[in-house]
Amino acid sequence: MKVLPTMEGGLCILPESEADWEELELICSDAVRPSHLAESLADLMDEQSEWDEYVVPDLEENFQSQTRFVNAAIENARKSQEAVVFISPAQAEKWYGALNQARLSLHARYDVEEMNETAHLDEMEPEPRSAYFRNRFYLLLQSMLLEFVLNREG
Amino acid sequence: MPHPSPDTQQKQQTKTQKDVPWNVVVLNDPVNLQNYVTMVFKKVFGYSQSKAETLMMEVHRQGRSIVWTGGREKAELYVQQLHGWQIQTTMEKTG
Repeated sequence: MKVLPTMEGGLCILPESEADWEELELICSDAVRPSHLAESLADLMDEQSEWDEYVVPDLEENFQSQTRFVNAAIENARKSQEAVVFISPAQAEKWYGALNQARLSLHARYDVEEMNETAHLDEMEPEPRSAYFRNRFYLLLQSMLLEFVLNREG
Repeated sequence: MPHPSPDTQQKQQTKTQKDVPWNVVVLNDPVNLQNYVTMVFKKVFGYSQSKAETLMMEVHRQGRSIVWTGGREKAELYVQQLHGWQIQTTMEKTG
């Protein structure tokens, strides 16, 4: 898979195999619990703020819209003749958000950020090993979005 | 000097509570990227690159940073925005 900056200030992802498409589709599978994320952020607030009632529903909708968007973008690109996933500058925040949800979820399930420093990949079980590599891929995409799209805009 | 009625006392207490400034506090987490957090501080608060980076490094090194102080309603609005960017944030009364 190749990821390249585009002339219009976005990114394009060029999947080269079925496995690459599957890897892209896993972004939204990994970001499985937008409601859990919204609730965990609400846990940081005191009860008087009534965050659960007034803010959490909006946060959930926002997080779900990010994953819905990315899921549809990958699905549509896969069906198209070009078979390229384009991320325009206007779409970059949604992509970044969905990738962040996926990384937060992987971290909660596998503690992947700790693995980065202490990983003995050969000794790992297949599931956490796969999570480790997915996290690295999502991190790379996020870094490219920041470098070539989001910070370029700001 | 006449004693205030319980109602007046309650109102005064509520007013005083509302007047106390609140801190918006960002907490460190292992997932969000440093450049991202800096970018969000610039977008949400309109901070300069330099100020946003300083606050981000404070979060990174000390585990938390007070990124804004002011009235409760505005503090809640900022926290809501930062949560929308998936940044762990809370608020606390000053002092």
